[in-house]
Order: sequence, then structure tokens, then C-alpha cells
Amino acid sequence: MAFITMTGQAFFVLTALADGPRHGYGIVREVADLSQGRVKLKIGSLYGVLDRLTIDGLIEPDREESHEGRLRRYYRLTREGRLALAEEADLRSATARVARSRLGLIGLEAAR
Amino acid sequence: MSLEQRYRRVLRLLPRYYRDAWEEDMVATFLDSWLTGDPEEDDAILELCKPTVEEVASVVALAGRLYVGGAGAPRRYLAWGQAVRNVVLVVLLVHVIRAIAGFVFIAWLHHKLGWLPAPPEPNATSVIASRPAAAVPSTVPPPHAVTVTSDGIWPAVWYTVGYAWIVVYLTLIFGYYRTARAIAMLAIVPDFVYLMAQRFIDHQSSHVGPWAFWVLLDLVPVLALAAFHRDAPPVARRLWLLAMPVSFLLLGMPLLAVQISGHGSSLPDWPGMCCILVALGCLVHAPRARSGRVTGTGVWSLTMILLAGLAAVQRIASLADYVNDPHMARLGVAELFVMLVAAAFVVEDGVRAQASATSTSTSPRTSS
Repeated sequence: MAFITMTGQAFFVLTALADGPRHGYGIVREVADLSQGRVKLKIGSLYGVLDRLTIDGLIEPDREESHEGRLRRYYRLTREGRLALAEEADLRSATARVARSRLGLIGLEAAR
Repeated sequence: MSLEQRYRRVLRLLPRYYRDAWEEDMVATFLDSWLTGDPEEDDAILELCKPTVEEVASVVALAGRLYVGGAGAPRRYLAWGQAVRNVVLVVLLVHVIRAIAGFVFIAWLHHKLGWLPAPPEPNATSVIASRPAAAVPSTVPPPHAVTVTSDGIWPAVWYTVGYAWIVVYLTLIFGYYRTARAIAMLAIVPDFVYLMAQRFIDHQSSHVGPWAFWVLLDLVPVLALAAFHRDAPPVARRLWLLAMPVSFLLLGMPLLAVQISGHGSSLPDWPGMCCILVALGCLVHAPRARSGRVTGTGVWSLTMILLAGLAAVQRIASLADYVNDPHMARLGVAELFVMLVAAAFVVEDGVRAQASATSTSTSPRTSS
């Protein structure tokens, strides 16, 4: 898949699904953990992202389970979603390396 | 009413097709984020708690995006989204013409256009000349011209605002939506500050007309810039670029000519001018809309209906300024009536355009 500009929220959601299917609230919790509490997805925002990623073919529904009388729908990455996430992760990682290098942090870390 | 019911009530803001696809999942996720697993505590939460402002805001934002034709929206929302984008571009075009007309008018006042008749004495024009947007009487927002003194920073501010609208229009056409939104947000601030200062510092009598103008032609279009999102089709660049000089020649120049020839007072006031222009637009568009032979007219019919709505609200609101002027009030009502009759010719086509609600949404059905 061609490179697409991915929002921070979409990147976190895809990362949350990288190790297996999750339901809505599972994604919210995982994103909060991944971002060390800095990204707290509201439900409207989450479903805006899920809808967008579904339409783009990056995620798809996996299964539905009943939990305390309510239906939980699980989502998983598609093959395209994995590729897009890998590509985005590479880009962000490379950018982070350059930033750390320019800030002189790489040398400092090695010295510690 | 329980927490779940309260949240479902908030979700009613979302379009039906979207709720059909996502509502149950959203409710389950929402409740999961509140409930603790302790039956007593959960009972209390369900009974007493309400969705937070942030949760409601996130649903409102999502609804706004979906109603203006976000990805996967049914055809009718796509049509409304395109119509809203057209309305925004038309209103921005009006701001651009006002700005250009203002610059030309100022150049004339300062004898930079020697081939035109000489302007009147400076004292007679200094007040109106200080505000480019007010250069042409029919573009002056209120029924009574905004009087801005030529002292202070206001003249420079109005020039800058005029330029800002041109930049907003061009950046939007070329697809720089965020830049356009940011500049537009700044461009509407001076008028608001000026109106507030006039009301609360100078204690001048507050007319409804200028406020109606600010809300309907400044604030609403800026908020409606949200319709220019990543899923929206790109703006028809050539058409809207061409619209700038053509509109100025067909609209700005004649109005300027009337003003320069000293007959400006014979023009309708600004809300009346809007009604007349929208009525003309509807009548020009109606034959195509009603013929049924041309496809794709529905979006423009919806555009004309929305413009008629804006013009009607502005006309009705500004009638409050004519309580002591029965002639102007009657004239205003007549302008409104003419516009509504003209708009009726395109309603059928507009309804047809958004009647087909076939969903193209990627419904998240579970696959195993």
C-alpha cells in the first residue's frame, strides 16, 4: 500500500491491535498505556478513527462476544494495516533517530 | 434515566446510517469505560452519572464530520457536504469581491484612478473610506453604514482583513485547508472586536444587522470550513479561480460604478442585495434544475437553498433595525418574498438530490 499520512490517533490504534484483536474499550486502555497516559481516546474520537481505518481497509471486525449482556466487537489488523503500520513505524523511528542525534542525545545515552 | 440512556440520547446526534452500524458497539465501549465490576458501585454509576462534556464533544465532532459527507457517508450526506462546501466558497467569494471593491474604491478616493470622475471632498468620504469592506454601500453590513473613524488602527486592520479573505479563498481552492481555517479564524476576530467595542465601550446603539452579518457571513462559514476534510473531493480549481474576476466584473464593478457616479443611495441595503442576488442565482439555475435532462444539478440546487436560508435569516434579523421605517421594512419583506418564490423553483431538484440514501458505508460486520 502506498504511504498515507497517518494521524497520531490512528497510529496508536493500529499499534494497539498489532499483537492481536481487541474490543473498543481494550483499544482505549491499550492506547492509554502505550502513550503513558498522554492519549485518552474519547469514544466519539475512537469510533471516528475505527470507521476511517475500516474504510481504508487497515482494520476489520474480528468477532463479537457477549459481555455482561452487551455485545463486544473485536477488531484486528488486515494485511494492509500491518504494512501501513510497519511503514509508519519505520518513518517515525527514523525521524526520532535523527531528532535524538541532532539534539546530541545519542552520545549522552551511550555515556550513561 | 440511566447512564446508558443518556449516552444513547447523545448518540442520536449521529446520522441514522452510522448509528445502525456502530451504536451498540459505541454504547458497550462507553459503559466499559465507566463500570468497575462492583455491582453496588456500578448501580450508582448507571443511576447518577452523565456523559462528560468531552465525551459529548467527541460525538458532536464526529456527527459534524459525518453530516458533511465524511468517508463512507450515504449519497445524501455527500450531496449536503458538497452543497455546504459550495456555500462556503460563495460566501468567501463575496468577501473577496468586497475586499477588491474596497481597494479599488480607496484608490479612487486617493486619485489613483485618474480616468474616473473625481471623488467628492475628503470630509464627505473619510469615514466610509477608512473601511475597505464598506466601500460599496450595498456591501455595508448593517442597514445603517458602520461608521469607523479614520483614526487609530482600524483602517489598517480592515485592509489586512480584506487581504486575509483573499488568502483564505485561494488557500482553500489550492487544498491548504488547515491554513485556510487558521487564517479565517483570525479574519473574523476584528469585526467581532469592533462590534463589541461599539456596543460596550462606545455605548452606541446596537443594530441587529451588523451582528447578523458577522454571525451568518463570518462565523457560520468559518465553522462550515470543517466540511473541507480529507475525504472531500478537491475543489474545482479552475471554476472557482475564474469565478473571482468574473464575479468582480459582473457584480463588483457595476456596484462600484453606481457608487462612483454618486447614485449609491439608490441601491438596496446589504441584506436586500443578498436576497436579490440569491433570487437571480435561483432563477438562472432553475431551468437546468427543472429540465431533468442535466445530471448533477441537485448539489447546486441544495447550494441555492442553503444560500436562500442564510439570506432569509439575515433579511429577517435586519428588519428589526427598521421598526421606525415602514417603507424600508415593507421593501425588506418584498425582497424576502421574491427570493423565497425564486428558491421554490429549485427545491424539488434539491430534494431529489438528497432523497437517495443508499449507504455506501463500510459496515463493520464481523467476519470470522
